[in-house]
Amino acid sequence: MTLQAHDIGLRVRRRSLLDGIDLTLAPAEILGLIGPNGSGKSTLLRLLAGLVRPDSGQVTLDGRRLDQMPRRQIARRIALVAQNAETADRITVRDAVRLGRTPWLDALRPWSDADEAHVARALARVDLAHLGDRDWSTLSGGERQRAHIARALAQNPQILLLDEPTNHLDIRHQLEVLDLVADLGLSTVIALHDLNQAMRCDRLAVLQHGVLTAIGPPEEVLRADILARVFGVQATVLIDSHDGSRLMRFQPIG
Amino acid sequence: MTGPILAALLALTAASAVGAQPTEYPLTLDNCGHQLIFPARPDNVVSIGQTTTEILYALDQADRMAGNSLWFNAVLPELQDQDAGVERISDNTPSFESVVNKRPGFVPTMFEWMIGAQGAVGTREQFADLGITAYVMPTDCHGKDNLVGSDGTRIAPFDIQTLWDSIGQMAIIMDAQDRGSALIADLQAREAAVVERAGAMNIPDASAAVWFSSAEMELDPYMAGGMGVPAWMLERLGLRNVVTSDEEWPTVGWETVARADPSVLVIARMDRRRFPADDVDEKLRFLRSDPVTSQMTAVKKDRIVILDAEAMHASIRLIDGLEALADAMNGLSR
Amino acid sequence: MTADVGVHAARRLRAPPWLWVPLLIVAAPLLGAAMGETPIPLSTVWQALANQILGAGYALDPIDQGIIWSYRLPRALVAGACGAGLAISGLVLQTLLRNALADPYLLGISAGASTGAVLVVIAGLGGGLVPMSAGALLGALAAFGLVVGLARLSGGGTSARGAAQIVLAGIAGSQLFNALTSFIIARSANAEQARGIMFWLLGNLSGVRWEDVGLALTAVVIAVGTAFWHVRALDAFTFGTQSAASLGVPVGRVQAALVLATAAATAVMVSITGAIGFVGLVVPHAARFLVGSRHARLVPVTALIGMVFLIVADVVARILVPGQTLPIGVVTALIGAPAFAVILVRARCAP
Repeated sequence: MTLQAHDIGLRVRRRSLLDGIDLTLAPAEILGLIGPNGSGKSTLLRLLAGLVRPDSGQVTLDGRRLDQMPRRQIARRIALVAQNAETADRITVRDAVRLGRTPWLDALRPWSDADEAHVARALARVDLAHLGDRDWSTLSGGERQRAHIARALAQNPQILLLDEPTNHLDIRHQLEVLDLVADLGLSTVIALHDLNQAMRCDRLAVLQHGVLTAIGPPEEVLRADILARVFGVQATVLIDSHDGSRLMRFQPIG
Repeated sequence: MTGPILAALLALTAASAVGAQPTEYPLTLDNCGHQLIFPARPDNVVSIGQTTTEILYALDQADRMAGNSLWFNAVLPELQDQDAGVERISDNTPSFESVVNKRPGFVPTMFEWMIGAQGAVGTREQFADLGITAYVMPTDCHGKDNLVGSDGTRIAPFDIQTLWDSIGQMAIIMDAQDRGSALIADLQAREAAVVERAGAMNIPDASAAVWFSSAEMELDPYMAGGMGVPAWMLERLGLRNVVTSDEEWPTVGWETVARADPSVLVIARMDRRRFPADDVDEKLRFLRSDPVTSQMTAVKKDRIVILDAEAMHASIRLIDGLEALADAMNGLSR
Repeated sequence: MTADVGVHAARRLRAPPWLWVPLLIVAAPLLGAAMGETPIPLSTVWQALANQILGAGYALDPIDQGIIWSYRLPRALVAGACGAGLAISGLVLQTLLRNALADPYLLGISAGASTGAVLVVIAGLGGGLVPMSAGALLGALAAFGLVVGLARLSGGGTSARGAAQIVLAGIAGSQLFNALTSFIIARSANAEQARGIMFWLLGNLSGVRWEDVGLALTAVVIAVGTAFWHVRALDAFTFGTQSAASLGVPVGRVQAALVLATAAATAVMVSITGAIGFVGLVVPHAARFLVGSRHARLVPVTALIGMVFLIVADVVARILVPGQTLPIGVVTALIGAPAFAVILVRARCAP
């Protein structure tokens, strides 16, 4: 299943938010989306999820235009974990994950044991099975993020879109979430802030002012000239003597 | 039974009429707990309310009036000539400025909700600040709290003496005490006569209810409360009001009215057409078609009395209303 | 394993409440028929109903018979329909707007419906061809559009920070439409206090007759039915509008259908009874407290509690002051305002 953006653009009140973006998500690939604040990462994810229709160009799923597919059909294939999705409702973790089955249910196809099995599997996959009956409000930030991912998994999607899933988490939970995403084996687009974390992706796409300025393997994209131009930082590459992996240190350009 | 007492009362009033003196100014008098001072006989009187207007006409004071307002029915036929010479400022509530613009020496009103703490026209203080003396008829302030309930709430039953006081005070203020005494004496004599006539009918344990109007045809109706002017009329003629609320015009459910099943139903006729039920024909249609009210004794036996709304105010028409009610009762007893 | 426990627990919980549905739907209106302004013995009430429904032929005072069958029963049925309709409207608005304080009264929708109704009835808009409830519906939709638009313009909308904005916009909208209603009535008023305004601002069930029952029941069945049809979509709004959309809910269409159905219910209720406050605000919270946040249970329970609440409130309104009936809005406000305070405090304590 391939998700493609063909020369898409979006304008709001005459301001261009995204312009001329071409992108293909390969099967089972993890594509990292990086760029400074306000560069259009969240907007691009919403367009890829079919929540917002582009003003120009189109997003296709296996060659079919997203804006011509019923929303329910999209939701069976693409799951989005947005930022700041919160609730004040008294709701259990399992009930929250059950919401992921919404696109598969209707009046003629009510809740079944198969749906319950999907929910159980999704909870187990993110290691939250033991917290299923807990109240949502009692979860920590990391647990909530994992529960959101479980809800997305319950949709049984082939494509997962994640908007800065490590935001506001402590470092251990950040790593847990990233490990989890890496292990899922789904085609994934993940917006990230931390460039060192971004290096774990298969490919990286760099957004600046709504324009895709670079796309490719991390070591090609995270070059000194691109980092200087897009993020305004000077990067020094360090090698971790522990396992030989590359790390970057950043300093603002004077 | 009340005959001798009334006769005595009448004699008293007649005596005072004979001894009526010209008013001496400056005049000081108490009005609803407020002390009023009139340095001289007032000019440019502006009346707020049909009742005060018609009292002034009956006292022959039209030439001293600069305006009238707040009308419910057409002016009494015998007062039409006087009315022709006075400007009608407003059919309804006049604005404060339209009143004070006439430079009035005296502003009487029939309702405290026109001039009072929550006066629709203004407060007494607002008028006093401009050196204008406002006056509220004692009928609307004695034994009545006008800050409770939509038309005020009676603390004590309506007392006809407050009407005589109102006429008497307005006569003193206008230096028309002879005419005032004669007017009061005439009304009292007619009251005594009609009460005697009703007593002679000797209707045992008769009850009544008075329907003024309803906001919507089928909504709970506005009925005359247990202590207001209509209640006084009923009591005077020996009828028991089935509504006991202290409010002047409370809303009472048809369920309550129908189960009390009054022997007589009084319905108000008015020129006002704000609600469908203001029309007396609509009232009759409802009474005869509604599944419950059509079963009431008064409706089945057609003991429905139609009375002018203005005759239910404490006004010079009150005795007209009393007479009309007694006439209708006369028909009932036959 | 844990999943199984959850399912069984859910089933155990679900079975008994369904028995309450037919029981309450029958029992609550009977209570309304049995209690009123004047005391009528229960046996008489029963005989009157038996006469009408079963043709029993008990000899009864026709006035008692008429009061129970023609006044009290339709009044109780409309009160129940009105309570259920307003409560469902409140629930749907709270869910769609992600706002615990949303309700047709607070958001000015009832006020807008009153204005629409008064425009038709008193100002004569439509020349007698437009039914009052149609005017009320237009007023309700206009008010809803105005309030949501104003909230969006002031940086609100359905986001978290929009919560205060929409309530503020609702207050502004209510004030505006109540003022318009007062203005329309006062403009056509005569030399009397404009007491008719009280009816439109506070609600009154005393004028209800059988002719109103069909309209009220239709409106409530449509509103509850629409909400029930969309229970999964409503659940999907738990984490916001965008989350609902990403779960495959056609957000625009669902919002339009639900807003239209609930605005229509509100409008019909207002055109029959005037604006009644606090039902739509308080009842959904009571229902959530009892059965949690899933709409499959929340929708029927909210409708049931709303129905019982308004029937009981109407009984209280009729018997609280002997010989006189209070406007029902006074009773619902007396109960609702403290409950509202509890909701506010709880909302603050919530994480």
